[in-house]
Amino acid sequence: MRKVVAVKQPTDGGARRAVFAPVDNRARVEAVVRRLGDAIELGLLADGEQLPGESELAGQLGVSTVTLREALMALRQQGLVTTRRGRGGGSFVSLPEIPGEERLRTRLRGWSTEELRDLGDHWAALSGTAALLAAQRTEPEDLIQLRCTAEELDLAADAAARSRVYGRFHVELAAAAQSARLTREQVALQTEVGALLCLLLGDDEYREEVAERHRSVISAVQDGAHESARTQGERCVRESTARLIALRLTL
Amino acid sequence: MSRSPGLVGAVTTTLDVTAEERVAAQIGRWLEAVFHAVAQTRADTAALLARVAEERRRPATVDLAGLRPGLHARLAREELVSGVGFVAVPGLLADVPAWLEWWQTNAEGDVRPLAPDLDPDRSAYSDYTHWDWFALPRDTGRRAVAGPYVDYLCSEEYSLTLSAPVRVAGRFAGVAAADVYLRHFEAAALPLLRELPGPAHLVNARGRVAASADPAHLAGSLTRGPDFAAVLEHGRVETFEGVRLVPCRGVPLVLVVPATTAGTVARATSAR
Repeated sequence: MRKVVAVKQPTDGGARRAVFAPVDNRARVEAVVRRLGDAIELGLLADGEQLPGESELAGQLGVSTVTLREALMALRQQGLVTTRRGRGGGSFVSLPEIPGEERLRTRLRGWSTEELRDLGDHWAALSGTAALLAAQRTEPEDLIQLRCTAEELDLAADAAARSRVYGRFHVELAAAAQSARLTREQVALQTEVGALLCLLLGDDEYREEVAERHRSVISAVQDGAHESARTQGERCVRESTARLIALRLTL
Repeated sequence: MSRSPGLVGAVTTTLDVTAEERVAAQIGRWLEAVFHAVAQTRADTAALLARVAEERRRPATVDLAGLRPGLHARLAREELVSGVGFVAVPGLLADVPAWLEWWQTNAEGDVRPLAPDLDPDRSAYSDYTHWDWFALPRDTGRRAVAGPYVDYLCSEEYSLTLSAPVRVAGRFAGVAAADVYLRHFEAAALPLLRELPGPAHLVNARGRVAASADPAHLAGSLTRGPDFAAVLEHGRVETFEGVRLVPCRGVPLVLVVPATTAGTVARATSAR
């Protein structure tokens, strides 16, 4: 019996089959919708701006033109893109008249709670480790910029500005850890989570809570309290994710 | 290179001293070559801005395009340099609030301009004036070495940035600068560090390790204890709790080696 098991082709394993299964086209469409939608919400793509041509954009994003067309259709349905035909035509960014908050809720609805939980796990791993390493590798002058960013959060007026400053704090924390990889990952993660955080940071009370958490991360980093810095960094991120999930469950 | 052993007879250890100082000097020369690229950029920029001032108008981004041939040549010529350019003080240019005329060599070896989003309504990273490579030359009026640090504005690389202030008619106009990625710096420095008898590493003025042949002191970590800034200021070899600190002449890096491999000389130094 044992021998039979031993010679069994490993290719029959379910996990292995999954590796070589065609990449889910639906997931790619959703990834493109999310990427372009977030960029529009964050103002990285301006109202009225013309998107590159279909084949060029598909090439830049590394997806097929079929996938891109499906994504553009979804964005049209969300009212974030309009397409004009003929001479001078193409796809254009269009911010719909409905309030930003409502559009952001639509974006949040595009995330399952499981995806949000996983996003939070990834983020906590990045920011927790960054805080721990920063506590080991930082001397007081390195913390000046983090302090400025923590203070800026108190001054930022609207939710979008607060979200940008929130994200920058975590990028700067990764830079204070002296890790280019953690920093790159954090920058990439913030492009995903930034639009969603706008939904939380309009609330002045929560903004104050985040600022307080950021200050305790800085204190722990300054004291060289590695584990405490990690805990503070993770707690800040987990709290935000928990709020996003709670909000998602009301939609 | 002016110091000589205080005691006759320390011949063998004198060789060690020579080796350490030779390594420190060589590293200093490499960074001097990078500073040369910075100085050329600074001179080009100052001349260009002075010409525009003579025409009684404010400079614009289109004027800075005149720097490009020189910047491209420096990227091609200086092996250690992966990014080079001029960073304007906000408000200098007539057509944009802030600007980096910055060119980089990408992973494929192509020369590309950096186009960061500097609109404060969209980007959290629009203000670049707090970075050491900008603030140090502005505040001291002198050239500076920033880093090692994670450069999340331009390259997303762990880097050293060498920079110098550009002044026009006595006013600060911005900085000329060049990026050296730390992995390239290490590739150059490591063979030299490994020639030394004991585990050696290089730190900046704040004790941050820039290159290391010592697994106990990795790049990016802090070496705590010695006042490295003071060593650089004094410009001579000093000892501190079992390590010798050798300043790299002209650049703010200190070579740290165990004192035990050159114990006789350490004693000779303190006896002088």
